[in-house]
Amino acid sequence: MQNSRAHLWFIAPALILIFLILMLPIGLAAAMSLTDYALGNPGFNWVGLENYERIFTRSTYERMFGATFRYVAVVVPMSVGLGLGAALLIHSLTRFGNLYKTIYFLPVMAALIAMAIVWEFALHPTVGIVNRSLEAFCGTPLELWRWHANGCENGFPLWLSDRDYAIWTVAFIGVWQGFGFNMVLYLAGLTSISPSLYQAAEMDGATSGWERFRLVTWPMLGPTTVFVVTITIIRSFQVFDTVEAFYPQGGGPGKSVYVMMFAIYEKAIQQNLMGIGAAITIVFLAFVMILTLAQRWLVERRTHYV
Amino acid sequence: MASIELSRIQKRFGTAEVLKDVTLSIADREFVTLVGPSGCGKSTLLRILAGLEAADGGTVQIAGQDMTRVRPAHRNLAMVFQSYALYPHLTIAQNMATPLKLRDLSRWARLPVIGPLSARSAYRAIGEQVRETARTLQIEALLDRKPSQLSGGQRQRAALGRAMVRQPVAFLMDEPLSNLDAALRVHMRAELSELHRRLGATFVYVTHDQAEALTMSDKMAVMMGGRILQFGPPDQVFANPATLDVAEFVGSPKINILPGEVDHDGRVSALGRGIPARLLVDGRLAKVGLRPEQLHLDGGADGWLGRVVHRENLGHDLYFHVALDADDQRLVVRGAQDRNGAESLGDAVRVGFKPDRALFFAPDGTRLHSVVPAKLAESA
Ligand SMILES: Nc1ncnc2c1ncn2[C@@H]1O[C@H](COP(=O)(O)OP(=O)(O)O)[C@@H](O)[C@H]1O
Ligand SMILES: [Mg+2]
Repeated sequence: MQNSRAHLWFIAPALILIFLILMLPIGLAAAMSLTDYALGNPGFNWVGLENYERIFTRSTYERMFGATFRYVAVVVPMSVGLGLGAALLIHSLTRFGNLYKTIYFLPVMAALIAMAIVWEFALHPTVGIVNRSLEAFCGTPLELWRWHANGCENGFPLWLSDRDYAIWTVAFIGVWQGFGFNMVLYLAGLTSISPSLYQAAEMDGATSGWERFRLVTWPMLGPTTVFVVTITIIRSFQVFDTVEAFYPQGGGPGKSVYVMMFAIYEKAIQQNLMGIGAAITIVFLAFVMILTLAQRWLVERRTHYV
Repeated sequence: MASIELSRIQKRFGTAEVLKDVTLSIADREFVTLVGPSGCGKSTLLRILAGLEAADGGTVQIAGQDMTRVRPAHRNLAMVFQSYALYPHLTIAQNMATPLKLRDLSRWARLPVIGPLSARSAYRAIGEQVRETARTLQIEALLDRKPSQLSGGQRQRAALGRAMVRQPVAFLMDEPLSNLDAALRVHMRAELSELHRRLGATFVYVTHDQAEALTMSDKMAVMMGGRILQFGPPDQVFANPATLDVAEFVGSPKINILPGEVDHDGRVSALGRGIPARLLVDGRLAKVGLRPEQLHLDGGADGWLGRVVHRENLGHDLYFHVALDADDQRLVVRGAQDRNGAESLGDAVRVGFKPDRALFFAPDGTRLHSVVPAKLAESA
């Protein structure tokens, strides 16, 4: 059987590429995460799981997980929900749909570093448009809201530098920046739903928009939703540029915005602690891996219609 | 169950006039087929009847009530779509239960978990109704499957089941058989007719296939270019078409149309042979329609001389395509039952005809009637 090895030749290029591009770097990172390697040092020591132990015991990393999960917990539901809502609204329009699409998609296209300047200005404690607007409502019934009344008396929050607000503000900007992308994905999903299903629903007696949504739209968007949620979670775990733009040093007030990507950057690049940086990377990859597996499982179990 | 009146329905899409003043009345319990070539506006008419499309003019009456402005859900009609339009994420049982749930259950009882617990008896009744319908259609075994796990024919039945499960006033079907293979299509024709008799419901059935219209319906409406050209029982439409277009559309193989001449006395001749009929026409020209089964290949000495150019064997019937020598004209002739297949390709034949059912048309396609019955004209 001379040509029984032919298949190896066919898969070899893919295998070699996967190995070089994916497996090798991950393997190196995994190996590095077990050392105290620092760039420029002549040698290194194996430290075993010490780096991981640190990640799961030190309070800095507790804050890192806290900031990351808070960010993900806000950005994922909000940007998926808003993306779906915007898509449904735009899809129901007969005119100006393209205009709204462009407007909502602009933040996705805009470089966040540039937009950060705008946000920094808008959120400025005294001259920013946000606090100015809030002040303008002082003395109106809006003051019935305790939080607002308090703001009128003692000044409105320093959105970006108050440790109680910073991560939520950054998350809000993440939602603002990300939901347009989800909207586009949902719009694509909506256009692929067969109109005859809506007609069947109407003939079956689904008279309200909610009934149509529950019977046709939402189930038919199932595959899109799984994809959108997964993508959004991964992107949220990867948030870095906002944090870097607002807080180039230290990860925000009291490390309250010290997200994973920023931690990797700070440890491995700024402080040249390759070992611990690699360990955080591996933890991050583990999260992504789990999510991807969960997505595959969901797609195959729940939303595989045809 | 109900009668349906469509009167003076007009519809345009942009500048295209799709329906031009269509009037149709369908009696209670009738099986009516809308048949016509693709793009003639059949589906649009059906969708206007269903309410899925709004007419630009005209009214829709169902059971004597004006339903023109009533939304589809409240017209209490059921529709079977060409694509079946089953909900892909629901099982067949859930698909069939959907119209019942949406109509019979309160908003509360439809909630996911609380609903089935709080309205247990209502749910049980729905389940019973679904099983009952499934039994009628013999799809009980499929109730727990998803539409993607069914064959075309099974999906078709499931869609029918979803339409049948609540008692609608009428069933609307838009080419429900066109996605099935040929054998199943013929089988389902019989089943649908039988179902119609059993349910005693009004059926409005859209198809482009004249054979379906002829075999299944009580009455067929032949549509072309946004108009109903003729509305009547199938045998009447077949034997007595109102226009040339209808004559050419109904019947397979197609009717043979020969150029004819009318002399001063109204006597007609086609391709040099006299036809025993008298027409009262000013013009000198007419078209003569002869169906393949009225022609035969032993025309004797005065038959049209021609040559067999094609044999079309359908098993039960054999059709010969004959190219006439004298004129640039082809005829389709049904072979005689007793001497099936005696002629072969290239044979010279003489085509004769039975004159009693020849159809006559003016050059513009309107039907001309002989003033003298064929039998008398022949003997005269
Ligand atoms: N929603 C629509 N917009 C524009 N044109 C349409 C629409 N629906 C149907 N038409 C046109 O109307 C004509 C009749 O369509 P239809 O009723 O679907 O024909 P059919 O007899 O084949 O069912 C066709 O020429 C089609 O192109
Ligand atoms: Mg159609």
